[in-house]
Amino acid sequence: MQILIVDDDPLAGELVAALLEEQGHDCRLAENGIEALERLAADDGIELVISDLNMPLVSGLDLLAELRESGQTLPFVLLTGDDPADILAQTPGLTAALMKDAALEAVLPVLVAKMAGAARP
Amino acid sequence: MASASSETFKARKARLRAAFLDQLPQRLREARVHLTRLPDQAALVALELAFHTIKGSSGSFALTTITELAREADDVLKGALAAGAPITAGPLAALTAVFERFDALDLGAADRADPGERYGFESEPPPGPVPGQMTGQFAGPAHDHASRRREQRVYLCDDDSDLAQELCAQLACFGYCVTALTTLDALRAAVIAHPPAAVIMDVMFPEGEHAGPATIAALALATGHAIPSMYISGRDDFQARLQAVKAGGSAYCTKPVKTTELVEFLDALTHREAPIPFHVLVVDDEPAVAQLHAMILEEAGMITAVATDPAEVLSLLKGFNADLVLMDIHMPACSGPELARVLRQMSGYLSLPIIYLSSETDRGRQFEALEVGADGFLTKPVEPARLVTEVSLRAERMRTLHSLMVRDGLTGLFNHNTIMQLLELAVANARRDGQPMCFAMIDVDRFKRVNDTYGHPAGDQVLMALSRGLRLRLRESDVVGRYGGEEFAVVLPGVDEVQARDILDQLRRSFAAVHFYAGNATFNCTFSAGVAAFPRWSCADSLIEAADQALYAAKRGGRDRVEIAATLDPAVDFNRDCPAEDQDGH
Repeated sequence: MQILIVDDDPLAGELVAALLEEQGHDCRLAENGIEALERLAADDGIELVISDLNMPLVSGLDLLAELRESGQTLPFVLLTGDDPADILAQTPGLTAALMKDAALEAVLPVLVAKMAGAARP
Repeated sequence: MASASSETFKARKARLRAAFLDQLPQRLREARVHLTRLPDQAALVALELAFHTIKGSSGSFALTTITELAREADDVLKGALAAGAPITAGPLAALTAVFERFDALDLGAADRADPGERYGFESEPPPGPVPGQMTGQFAGPAHDHASRRREQRVYLCDDDSDLAQELCAQLACFGYCVTALTTLDALRAAVIAHPPAAVIMDVMFPEGEHAGPATIAALALATGHAIPSMYISGRDDFQARLQAVKAGGSAYCTKPVKTTELVEFLDALTHREAPIPFHVLVVDDEPAVAQLHAMILEEAGMITAVATDPAEVLSLLKGFNADLVLMDIHMPACSGPELARVLRQMSGYLSLPIIYLSSETDRGRQFEALEVGADGFLTKPVEPARLVTEVSLRAERMRTLHSLMVRDGLTGLFNHNTIMQLLELAVANARRDGQPMCFAMIDVDRFKRVNDTYGHPAGDQVLMALSRGLRLRLRESDVVGRYGGEEFAVVLPGVDEVQARDILDQLRRSFAAVHFYAGNATFNCTFSAGVAAFPRWSCADSLIEAADQALYAAKRGGRDRVEIAATLDPAVDFNRDCPAEDQDGH
C-alpha cells in the first residue's frame, strides 16, 4: 500500500514510516500540508494519508478539508498528541484518529493492515 | 515480535529516538526564545505548536517523562490561547517551571550515550547498568561527592574585596570552589564565559543601590537562562529584599553572613542528586501479567524484580533492597495474604509496603486480604498511570519514614543505632573482600565551653557545620553518623589507617578555619579524632573501643589532632571480646 505521511516533525514522520515499511508498505513523507497536497497531485498511486494534526499554517484538519473539498476520498488517518475521541466524533470524512503514544506502535500497523485488506477484497 | 525483520524497525526506532533526544535541547532553546517574546500573540502560538510537537513526537517514541512535561506546557498554552487575552503571571510561572524541569532532566549533557536509559524514559527495561551512567548515591569510584562540589562553578560578587576573599575561603572549607569578583563588569564577563551553578551577589554597588539584582536580571534576560542566585547584603529593608526576589534570588542573607547558612542555600542551589529509583518487587504467578506490571513501573523509571513463585520472594528480597512489594492475591500454594503474613513476621520487612493487585472485586474479601497488614488494594486491570502513582506515593512515604528512623534530627547524619549497624556491615564486607577499612571517632574540642559562652544555637551551628563538612568532604562510600552529643563516627571502607588519618587531618584543618558567629562575637572550633583500622582490630566492638582510646589520646595530647590506635599500648587486647572466627582474618 502506498502511504503519504504528513508530519512537521520529520523524526516523528520517519518513525511512522519505519513502522509501516516494516509491514511492507511504501511510504512517502511530507513535512507540511502544502507539500502533502503537491505530493498527492503529483502521485496518484497514494492510497492512504496519515497526517499529524497540529502543524503550522495548514493543520491536519485543514488538509483533510482541502482534500474532501476537491473531491478526494482517500482514507485519512489523523495522529494527535491529545485524546482523539472528540475530533473523531466531530469530523466527518476522517477514517480514524489515533493518539501519539506508546500504543501507536501496536495500533497503527493493525489499522493499516485492515485498511489494506479492505482495499483489496 | 522477535523476528529478524522486527529488529530492523527496532533499530530504526532507536536511531530516531536518539536523534529526537539529541535535538530536544535545541527545540527547547528555540521555545525559550518564544517564551521571552511573550505576551506577543505570535510567540504564544509558536510556543504552543513547539510543545505540542514535542508532546506528540515524544509520545510516539514512548518517552513518557518528556511527553508529560510537554503536555503540561501545552495545556497551559492552550488555556492561554483560549482565553484570548495576554498571558498572565500564573501560567507564565507554570511554563517557567516546566522549562526548569526539562533542564533538570539534563538533556544537554553531550557525554551521555543514551539519556533515555538514564532516566527510564524508555518503555523497554534497560539491559543493565551502563558503565558511568550513574551519578549520586550509586556512583562507584570514590571522591565523587566532594569533587562534584568542587566542579560546581560558583561566583561571589561583592565590591568589598576583603569580605569577598574571606567568604570564598570560608566556603572552600565546605568544599565549594568559589571565585570572588569585585565588579559587576567582571561578573558579567564571567557569567557569559562560563555559566555558573550559582551566584552569590551583593545588593548594593557603586552603580546603584539595587545594582546587584538588576545585573542578575539583565544577565538572565541576555543569556536566556535563569541564573541560580542568592543575595548577601548589609541592608535588611523590604525594597532590597523585593528587588532580590524579583531578580529570581532564592535566598537573602544579611551581613555579617553566616557561612553555614550560605552553605545551606548553596547546597540547595547546586546540589541536584539523581534520585534513586524506587525498587519494586512484583509477585504474580502469571508471568505475562507480572512482566506487564514490571514494564509499566520500569517505564516510569523504577527498578523491578519479578517473582512468579511466592517461594522465590524471600531470596529475591535479600539482594534487592525493595521499597515496595506488589502482589497478586490468588496464587496456588501460597496466597497473597499468606505471603504478606510471612513477610510481616520477619522483623526486616515489618514496614515494607505491600500492595495487592488482583481481580478480586468482592469488598469483604479485599478487606480480609488487607487485614494481615497490607497497605493497599488495586483492582486488575489497572491503568498504568494509576499503578505508577499508587506505587510511587507509598514508596516515597516509606523512604521518608525510613530516613526519619535512621537519621539524626539536627545534623541529618545517621543516628547511633544505624551507624553501628553500618559499621558491622562494613567490617563484614572488608573481611569478605580482604580489604582494609577504618573506623574513626571525632569529638568537638571544648564543646561545652562553646555552649556555655555563646549559647546553644551557636553550639548547634558548630555541630551542623561539622556534620555538613564530614558529609560533603568525605567520599560517597564513607558513612558518617552522629554518635551522640558532640561525638561523630565515620566508617571509611577501603583505606588503611595512614590514609584515614590523612583524610581526617585535612578535614580537621579546614574545620579549624571555619568562623562561627554568635551575636557580635566570632569564634573558631577544633576537633580531635581517633582512628582504628581493620584488620588490626577485627570486629565492630573492638574497632569502637580502639578508636575511642585513640580519641582519648588525641585529647590528652593537646586536642586538635588525629591519632591512630595502632600506636597505642599493644598490651591492651581490644580483640578479647571478638568472636573467635573474626580473628582468623589476620
